[in-house]
Amino acid sequence: MKKHAAAIIAVFLLVPVLLIGGCTKPRFIKKGEFKGTDLIVLIFAGPVDPMWAEDRAHFTVNEASDPDILLDIQSVSLSPDRTRLTIALSDPMNQERPHQVVVKDILSEGRNLGTETLTVARLYFGYLFGIFLGALLIQNFVFSKYLGLCVFFGTSQKKTTAVGMGITFTAVIVFASFMSWFLYQFVLKPYRLDYLQIIVFIGLVSLTVQGVDTILRKVNPALFKAFGVYLVLVIANCIVIAVPLILADNEYNMIESLMLSLGAGLGFLLALFLMSSVRERLDFADIPVSWRGLPIAFIVAGLFALSFMGFSGMSIF
Amino acid sequence: MDPLYIKLALGGLALLASIGLFFGIGLALAAHKFAVEVNPKVEAVKEVLAGAQ
Repeated sequence: MKKHAAAIIAVFLLVPVLLIGGCTKPRFIKKGEFKGTDLIVLIFAGPVDPMWAEDRAHFTVNEASDPDILLDIQSVSLSPDRTRLTIALSDPMNQERPHQVVVKDILSEGRNLGTETLTVARLYFGYLFGIFLGALLIQNFVFSKYLGLCVFFGTSQKKTTAVGMGITFTAVIVFASFMSWFLYQFVLKPYRLDYLQIIVFIGLVSLTVQGVDTILRKVNPALFKAFGVYLVLVIANCIVIAVPLILADNEYNMIESLMLSLGAGLGFLLALFLMSSVRERLDFADIPVSWRGLPIAFIVAGLFALSFMGFSGMSIF
Repeated sequence: MDPLYIKLALGGLALLASIGLFFGIGLALAAHKFAVEVNPKVEAVKEVLAGAQ
């Protein structure tokens, strides 16, 4: 019976996705995409007039967030079959951001098709994956932002504790940052209370942890026992408050914020696991007396941070 | 003071208070609904012990 309910809910969630996907307006510009660092390629549904395409005044390009700053167009060229138009810009673009292309008075076989506006952006999935990977490796919260260090050093002595803490932390941070995203977008921002975000987020995080603690104790005692003391320790972690603040600053939407919080949680899990693996071995190493324990752990963390710098500038899509 | 600012501040105060009240009642109800029977002797023994940690 439970399985049926899950299937029905899944179908209900799927239907709106399909409906939204089917409702796209027909447009004359079929596609726009980035090419290289300074080219934008537009693909038209039919051949356009070469004379029209040669005039640079018919095209403007700007970042979608700053419509006032028009980017400098160097040249516009049309392919021989007259359906592919390449706009070359004088300077490389920041392709992380969506760009808006306005094409004025499109002339196709003697007919004026009016002005069309098009947003050119990277593949959205690639963007989401970039956020996830950025939080996980490139901007790892422990090793490149130096957040959450107290819990990081406190629970990385044994592999089992480290993994337990990491998993608990991931679960709590995903839940807490989703709640704080919701509260920020639908309560704080509309009522212009965003200057109170730190206080509200701190309260929300401790509230989430308390709620999870209460409910889990009854519903799933086995999991509660596995989480153990770590659940309460999460309150004292600064990553769990940093993520909602970053979400609020960057105005991420729901899926983006989910990706960032998942990346932050798994990044913390990764950091804890790596660190505990090293510290388990350090117990058997011959370390000078004054360096034993925390001092050598700090040095190891520094070495990890250095090696994580190797991820900077990495991009997959 | 600009009356707009006072209005904003009071609105914020009222809103945050209501959010706090809402979540507080929610937590209290949750604690009541998901209450776990704990042996009262455990607490009693804990009281008697020294309890440095």
